[in-house]
Order: sequence, then C-alpha cells, then structure tokens
Amino acid sequence: MPTKEKSGVRCPKSGVNIIRRSRGNLGLRTILLAAFLLAASVARGDSARKPTLEAIGNEVQCTCGCVAPLSQCPMVECAEKAEMRAFIKKEIADGKDETAILQDISIRYGVQALTAPPAEGFNLAVWILPGIGLLAGLGIVVVIVCRWRRKPAIVPAPTSASLDPKVLTAVEEEMKSTGMG
Amino acid sequence: MNQVGSVGLIASLAFAAYALVAGAVGGKLRSPRITRSAERAALGFFLMVTLAVVALEYMILTNDFHNAYVAEHSNRDLLTYYKVAALWAGQEGSLLFWTWLLSIYSALVVWQNRRKNRQLMPYVVSVLMGAGTFFSLLVFFVANPFQELSLVTSAGSQAFTAPDGNGLNPLLQYHPMVIHPPMLYLGYVGMVVPFAFAMAALITRQLGDNWIRTTRRWTMVPWMLLGCGILLGGNWAYAVLGWGGYWGWDPVENASLLPWLSGTAFLHSVMIQEKRGMLKVWNVALVILTFFLSIFGTFLTRSGIVSSVHAFAQSNIGPFFAVFLAIILFFSVSLLFLRLDHLKSENKLDSMVSRESGFLFNNWILLALVFAVFWGTLFPVISKAVENATVTVGAPFFNKVAIPMGLLLLLLTGAGPLLAWRKTSFQSLRRNFTLPLILALLAGVAMFAEGVRNLYAWMTLFLSVFVLVCIVGEFWKGARTRMRTAKENFALAIYNLTMRNTRRYGGYVVHIGIVLLFIGFAGQAFKTDAKGLMQEGDLLKVRNYLLRCDGLTTGDTPNYEYTRALITVTKNGEAFTSMHPEKRFYKASQQPTSYVAIHPTLSEDLYVVLAGLDPDNGKAIIQVFVNPLVMWVWIGGVVTLLGTLLAMVPSRVEREMAGMRQAQELAVQAGDAY
Repeated sequence: MPTKEKSGVRCPKSGVNIIRRSRGNLGLRTILLAAFLLAASVARGDSARKPTLEAIGNEVQCTCGCVAPLSQCPMVECAEKAEMRAFIKKEIADGKDETAILQDISIRYGVQALTAPPAEGFNLAVWILPGIGLLAGLGIVVVIVCRWRRKPAIVPAPTSASLDPKVLTAVEEEMKSTGMG
Repeated sequence: MNQVGSVGLIASLAFAAYALVAGAVGGKLRSPRITRSAERAALGFFLMVTLAVVALEYMILTNDFHNAYVAEHSNRDLLTYYKVAALWAGQEGSLLFWTWLLSIYSALVVWQNRRKNRQLMPYVVSVLMGAGTFFSLLVFFVANPFQELSLVTSAGSQAFTAPDGNGLNPLLQYHPMVIHPPMLYLGYVGMVVPFAFAMAALITRQLGDNWIRTTRRWTMVPWMLLGCGILLGGNWAYAVLGWGGYWGWDPVENASLLPWLSGTAFLHSVMIQEKRGMLKVWNVALVILTFFLSIFGTFLTRSGIVSSVHAFAQSNIGPFFAVFLAIILFFSVSLLFLRLDHLKSENKLDSMVSRESGFLFNNWILLALVFAVFWGTLFPVISKAVENATVTVGAPFFNKVAIPMGLLLLLLTGAGPLLAWRKTSFQSLRRNFTLPLILALLAGVAMFAEGVRNLYAWMTLFLSVFVLVCIVGEFWKGARTRMRTAKENFALAIYNLTMRNTRRYGGYVVHIGIVLLFIGFAGQAFKTDAKGLMQEGDLLKVRNYLLRCDGLTTGDTPNYEYTRALITVTKNGEAFTSMHPEKRFYKASQQPTSYVAIHPTLSEDLYVVLAGLDPDNGKAIIQVFVNPLVMWVWIGGVVTLLGTLLAMVPSRVEREMAGMRQAQELAVQAGDAY
C-alpha cells in the first residue's frame, strides 16, 4: 500500500515519489494541451473555408477520358473540362457548399465523376476498411506485446525428440562419413 | 540481329530452367558439384540475356526498322540517349530489361557468395532462377521483342522494313525518364534477392541471423533505388504532365509505393531480430509481402485492370502475372507455416515504452498504410466485380486516409530513435522530449501567427520541427560526449561518431531526408494558380508575380515542331526572370506535349505552362502555378539517398567484428589443415 506523505505518494517498491513525478510532468502536459488547442484552432479555420473551383476540381474527375482530376486534365481544348468548370462556377456562385456541389455533380455526371466515391452503400467499404485495418493492426500489436511480456525470456533449445527424424539421420550419416560418429 | 536476340532468349530460358532444377537438386543432395553447376548456369543466364539486350539495343541504335519493336518505339531523329531508353519504352523491351536486371542481380549474388552461405546458395539460386524462368518464358513466348515487322496484304503477310519508326512516346522524352524506369525496375527486381535468401533460410531451417545479415544491404539497395525511382517519377510528372503537382495517387504510382512501404517496415523490424532475436516470423512475412507487392506492381502496370495516366505498356500478360503471384504466395506462405516452430522469439518484451515497441508501432502504421493504399487502388476493380459499378478512387480518398497515417509516422520518425532498447524510463522520456516539444510548439505558434490555417500543413510543419530537433539533439549529444572524452573538435567528433555507427547515424540522416520530404509535401496546401489568354504585351498576375507575354515564336527540330511563349516575370515590381514554356508536336508519333518552364527556388517554384493556342483568336493559353516548398521534396530525396548510402558503409565496429570473424575462420581452417 503506498503511503501518503506531505510531499506526495511514495511507492514502497521503488521509493519514487509519484506526486512529484506528476508535478514534473505538468510542463509537458501544458505543452501538449497547448499544442492540442492550437491544432483544434487550426482545424476549425480549415473547415470554415469556402469552396473554390480549384478545390472542387481536385475532387472531380474530368469526363473526357483523360483519367485525371478536373484541375489536372492535360487536354488543351477539352470541351468536357470547360463544361464542368462552368457548372461548378455556377454552383459556387449560387452559394452552395462543397458537399452540395459534389452531390449535384454526381447526379449530373454520375458517381464515377467524383475522384472519391460517396460513403454510402457498397462504397462505404472503401472508407471504413482502412480504419478497420488500422484498428485491427493495433489490436494485433497489442496482443503481440502482451504475449511477449508474458513469455519466458529464453526459449528452450529443441530436444532431439522434436527434431525431424530425416535431419537426425542425415546428421548421423554425415558424422559417420567424417569420422566423427 | 533478330535471330541473335532470339537465340539469346531461348538459351537464357534453358539456363534459368536448368539452374532452377539443379539448385534444388544440389541443395537436396548436398552436392557441391551440382550446386556449382547451378551457379554457373545462373551466370550463363546473365550472359545470354545480356546478348539479347545488346542485340535489341543495337537494332534500336542502328534504326533497324524491320524489327517491329524498334519501328514501334524509336525513329531516326530521336536523340541517342532516348534511343537507349527506347529499350524500356514498350511492353516487350521493358520485360526484357526486367529480365536482364534480374540476371545481373543473380550474377552478383552468385559471385558475392561464392565462398559463403554455401548451404543457402543452392536454394537461393533456385528461387532466383525460378523468377528468371518465368520472365524468360514471358519474354520468349508472350512478349518477344525480336519479331519482324510484317506487311499484311491480300496475298498474305511478308517481311517489311519501315522507312522510319513511330518514335518514342513524347511524354517519355524527358531527361529523368532515361533513368527513372531503370531505377524503379532495379528497386522492384532487387526485392527478389532478400526473398530468395528468406526462402532458402526457410527450406534449410537456417533461420538465425545469418540470412538477415546477408540480406540487409541487398534490401537497402533496392529500397533506395525504388525510392529514387519514385521521386524521379514524381519529377517527371511535375515537369511533363503540366498540372503543377508531382504525386496524384495514380494506381501506377501507388503500385511503386507499396513495396517501398513494406520494405521500409522490414528495414526497421529487422533490427529487432538482430538485437533481440524477436519478430522472426514477421520479418519473413514482410520479405514475402515486399516481393509479392513488387510483382503485383508490375502486374497492375501491365495488365490494364486499372485505369492510369502512366500505362505505357499494357497488354494481355495480366493472367500470366496472376498465376505467378499465386505461385509465389502459395509457395512462400506454405513454407512459412511449415517452419513456424523454428521462428520463435528468443526474448520477451521488457517494457511497453521501448525501442522494440516503437518499431512495432512503426510497422503497424506502415502496414496499415500499405493496406489502405492497396485497398483504395483495387477498389474500383472490386466495385466493378461486385456491383458492376464504375467508381473512381483518387487523390481525395488517399489524402484523407494516408495523410493522418503519414503524420503518425512522422511523429515516430522523431520519437522512435530516442527510445532505449528494452526499457525507457520516464525521466529519460522527459529529458529527451521536452526541448523538441517546446521548440516545435514555438514554431507552431509562429506558423499560426503567420497565417498557416491548414491543419495538415500545420501539423506537418509542427512535427517536422519536433523530429528535426530530436535528430539534431542525438547528433549533438553524441558529439558532445566525444568532445569531452576523446578531446575532439566538433566536426571531427561528428565525423567519428557517424563512422563508428554508420547504420544508426545514416538512419538519422534518412529521417532528416524524410522530414524534408514532408515539409515539401506540406507546401501543396498553399499552392496558387492563375490562367489567362495572352498575346504580346498582355499581363497575368499571380500572387506577387506579374507575367508579361513578349510574344510567341515557332521553330522546328528534326524530332519536333514547337511553339514557344516568351514570358518576362517581375516579382514585387522588380525584374525576376524570363521563362519559355513550349508546346511541342512530335513528328514521328504525331502527338503534342507541353514543355513546362519552371523557376525553382527554396521557398517556391514558379511554374508556367503553355497549354495551347486559343482556336478563336490564336492567343496563348497560359497557366501559372506558384508551388511553395517543392524544392524540399527533391532535396529531401537526395538527403534520403545520401543517408541510405551512409548506412550501407560498413561502420568501424562492423569492420572490427568482421576482422575478428575472419581471423577466427582462418584459425579454424589452419587448425583443420593441421
């Protein structure tokens, strides 16, 4: 049982003062909290952006067959590109947000005109599986770490009983042929 | 010459098939004589493929247009170095080139291991030549570059010599393209060597550190070359495709990234096996995965199962690759399962906060990234098969999924090396991380005050400062200790510190390179562009640059005709530079392409494209991009390359150990002789 003292809680095993350690940690925590708040503030600024032709052009694929996003279509006089750009400009001028514009594009040109499929129906799989993969990977890492922590430090050397009989025979024959058997 | 090439191909197939069988038999019977004959056959394979390559190159360089491949991919007025590059411009030539690189790797492995790893070598040769047999079969029977050009008439087909060829694809006529594919291929093909050693170790049950030590450099070399190839590809896309970026998450780009990522995971996790005897199964699995992804990348590029702007060499060879991939997977995974008992960890994990767990988390993120990129790349195919729906999975998906994982990796790049093996105390954590965190936070506040509002860009720059301070701190601490103990000056201390442990400090330099790459990536968030129709005297403003068109000129070279825009640029009202973007029209292939004008600086690139001429008024369509920090991507690539080279230099400690091992071996041999 840890004993409580004026200066903090002392661990009976290591003798280290836990509370003092926590106080020492305060600076680090303050830094991390400040970093988090700053990041959150940056994120809020990011999400508040108005849609632009350039941004939407990256989310939409040109329908001319160039296999490139609209903003990167390499065709010089591409009628499809001009038409799509005009449509997006009109949508922006109408005051629609990015989600609404992308929805209108998928209705007008088909889902394949979006450079990323909407997260619905079977297409949901493309969005959620990487996350599931990430979590499953984390789970595997945790299981491995726990098993490693439990296992004995040294694996015993395999006994002769666990050796392949063919290998044993080969070793014996080789030892005999070299005069060691 | 077609006959010479064909003889080379059929002979190479015979040598490869013989070496495949002889290697396996030599290993099974433990016969040094049969093993040597397999090794000699591997050398013969190299010589015969070289003969075929020389024959094809000779025909390309001498404009021998009765060869179908030469007529298809070269022309008389093509510059000589592009003619050399025509070898890998098409399907047949690039598969021959691939086979040649495989034969070079195989010959080098045989030569380097002529006196060592004698028990592994029969199977190493067998596996290498298994791949050699597959590619020789493919090149000889399916994609033979030694076909004669024939003219089909009503009377039947007859041999025909074209007066000139169709020329090289204009998009490939760019200087880095001469070395980009060889780098990429060297990376892809090179992954067969660690795979061959891993399989040989599994077959012979010699699963100690030997195969790991032997293959470390054999993995680093292709990993480095693959990285260079990827960056050169990015450079090509940046300078030639004219959309102002260098990475578009195209399926072919993704295919090259996948083995690089899994190779990165292996290069990290292998250290745990060397130091602690752990992760043995994992390391073999990573080697298998990396080789599988290398072949998968080729399959993806060649089969045409996904749409790509990079698909220069598509054909019907997909099913052959699919079968080869299935064989690789079945053979290697079965072998791995059969040897699980021999791959048990020798140690236990002492603490959750340790270098070992840091590597584990690094592997976790890298493999999750591999999965996400793999899944996103293949999803259109899966969607088509399951729902019969055509969907596109492009940059927005990959950016949303990969950037957070990339940022986690960036964090680990700095934090991982500061964790101690076995266990890291809290005091040590505090000591090592407080200063980097404070400085990174100060930099973060400064960036916020400067107007950086994009979360990912801000996070990237924040973490970059953190990682750089961590790494510089490592160099500083080591140098300070040497300055105190060995009384060396700072420069000498840094030099000796690095040379004493090249692997560790080379790794740190690689990490610096990765940070610089990320800084370059962050610049994409601040890209600006403008577009306008211009004729002489017209102005176009983008940010603080003002572009004035001084006119258009046209010209003619033997290979192409061009229209060139003469642009004078002022920055903040002062003369800055003049730029000359071109629109080219290649005569042989009858294809247009853009030649982008780029003015690079450390802070930003000014990137000007002459997209074409307006058909109504003849004015130039000029597109201008201001791309911040792009230069840091290329600098980061060079630093990564240098760091990898440094990590491959044998360190003093390694050399001393090798000397001791050699002395011991000599003593044993002398004892045996006595």
